Amino acid sequence: MIRRVNGEQWLAVAVIVLGLIMAWQITAIPADAGYAGIGPRFFPTLIVTGLVMCGGILLLQSSKPPAAPSTEEENEGPRADADWSQFVLLSGSLLAHMALIGLIGFTLAGTMLCFGVCRALASTRPWRDALLSFLLVFGLFHLFAWLGLNLPALIPGVL
Amino acid sequence: MESLHALFSLGFATALTPSNLMWALVGCTLGTAIGVLPGVGPAVTVALLLPVTHSIEPTGALIMLAGVYYGAMFGGSTTSILLNTPGEAGSIVSALEGNKMARRGRAGPALSTAAIGSFIAGSIATVLLTLLAPLAASMALKLGPVENFSLMVLTFAAVSAVLGNSPSKGMTALFFGLALGLIGIEEQSGQARFTFGQLPLIDGIDIVVVAMGLFAIGETLYTATYENNSQTRLETVKGSVWMSKSDWQRSWKPWLRGTAIGFPFGTIPAGGTEMPTFLSYSVEKKLAKGQRGQEFGHGAIEGVAGPEAANNAAVTGTLVPLLTLGIPTSATAAIMLSAFQQYNIVPGPLLFDSYPELVWGLIASLYIGNVMLLVLNLPLVGLWVQLLKIPRPLLYGGIVVLATMGAYALRQSWFDLLLLYLIGLVGFAMRRFDFPVVPLIVGLIVGPMAEKQFRRAMAINEGDASVFFTQPVSLAILCVTAAIILIPPLLRRRQALLAN
Repeated sequence: MIRRVNGEQWLAVAVIVLGLIMAWQITAIPADAGYAGIGPRFFPTLIVTGLVMCGGILLLQSSKPPAAPSTEEENEGPRADADWSQFVLLSGSLLAHMALIGLIGFTLAGTMLCFGVCRALASTRPWRDALLSFLLVFGLFHLFAWLGLNLPALIPGVL
Repeated sequence: MESLHALFSLGFATALTPSNLMWALVGCTLGTAIGVLPGVGPAVTVALLLPVTHSIEPTGALIMLAGVYYGAMFGGSTTSILLNTPGEAGSIVSALEGNKMARRGRAGPALSTAAIGSFIAGSIATVLLTLLAPLAASMALKLGPVENFSLMVLTFAAVSAVLGNSPSKGMTALFFGLALGLIGIEEQSGQARFTFGQLPLIDGIDIVVVAMGLFAIGETLYTATYENNSQTRLETVKGSVWMSKSDWQRSWKPWLRGTAIGFPFGTIPAGGTEMPTFLSYSVEKKLAKGQRGQEFGHGAIEGVAGPEAANNAAVTGTLVPLLTLGIPTSATAAIMLSAFQQYNIVPGPLLFDSYPELVWGLIASLYIGNVMLLVLNLPLVGLWVQLLKIPRPLLYGGIVVLATMGAYALRQSWFDLLLLYLIGLVGFAMRRFDFPVVPLIVGLIVGPMAEKQFRRAMAINEGDASVFFTQPVSLAILCVTAAIILIPPLLRRRQALLAN
């Protein structure tokens, strides 16, 4: 019988893989023993071991068949289905903002991001969102410029 | 007595200057305004407003951040009561009874008992902080690296194994935080670790990026993916916000009991506000007799008064280890610590000697801030309720823009925005699978401190690790650590056996 790998098992595997990548990176740290034999590799070794062990325990726990459901945890009710298109939309907005902020300035990139978040959160009024996003980010830009925070601008001091 | 003298001669003299009073007011107002927004707890409020303080001198900045911290707590209660969406663990219990009260048309008294209870608990706890902090600092001066390291191990165990439903998830979050804390230049040897050849990683990962990524970006990703169709109902405040005579009679004892429960929990490194608020709730439920007992679950005022007081007292309590030991025991305290570090000020036993004006000014501003918050939150509650009417998409849009701005402002680098997104993905996964966030934040900030103390301890004792078990204070702390890890699962096993 083939059992489906659940999300929690994937997460446990990710923790273990992260631990192993870090373990490999420990070898890149120069191993000169510091004071009293405790060098810069000692703590990382300890932490990476802990991380891999935690990943292992999580994997074991998530592979076990679920015990009798506890009453407290059932109060939340079933989790709604995931809407991955919204996840992708939001991620895209964040990554586009990252790529564009240096080119088109904080105000325009921020407006686009704020608008993207509104779309990802299923807002039904795009024109209102676009206008309010712009006003909000424009206001923030000038507020923080006044507070002395240097943010990238398309037209310095204005936008 | 010495501490009272310092409080009045130094503290109030510093806190009552016009500029510092203004920063306290700005902090309390901004803290309430942002804390009242659903889904935004005190930790993320402080993190969001950190960039604002960059251009302010340290005392004013820390006074403002303390106002933000307290303001966010007050604002959070309003949201739990009216919207039933607690922004952090400490307000979950207030939402239980408070929202029920609001549904029965008693939103006003619920908000009042929460605000007055928070004021009373905050004030009593600040008096205790005034008296205890100098004593704790002088005791902490006697602790060496061995004891300090053991204390940090205790903090790690307490925040990861005790809080949350699953110790293994808590430990995973802790080790992930510790691992993130390793990235960058190691102070003693000057070696770069886990930078993967990336220059921006040499400075390490800033706690602001982590806090915003986990709370703001992770939360928004989660909401967009899973909760777009969920509806919340905003209760209206009908009639007077003031409490009746019977409300006062029913509230004053829970306020005092809540304070007595909350403060000690805050001061010990078993941090967090979750346990004291739940404890206060169950104490009030047990003590309520007759008809009042039956009201629990349907909107009992004691169930709001006690936990709210416990919450605020615990928050003030967390300032004791933060200011005297330099150890943060909650996510918000960890971000406050990074605010100190931003000015190269190291909280700890020497803080009272090296920056007396700052630390006493900060404590004095807590008294002032409490009064400001009472005024801001009771007569003006209608104003904050308006904020709850902002459509959710725009609200999250604003939070995400503020978070990205905070991350970008650190170094003007797109790399921090990428890190913010990646940590947001981690936050999303942690939220999806119910991993606690506090161990991660505490691990990130206390981890490097623990490593430093460990290496110092080993250097002083010529590499003999047994010193952690032979020095009495350290041994006692480690025994407590072992007990808090081992006893809860043993008790659970015993209960299971008895049940069978």
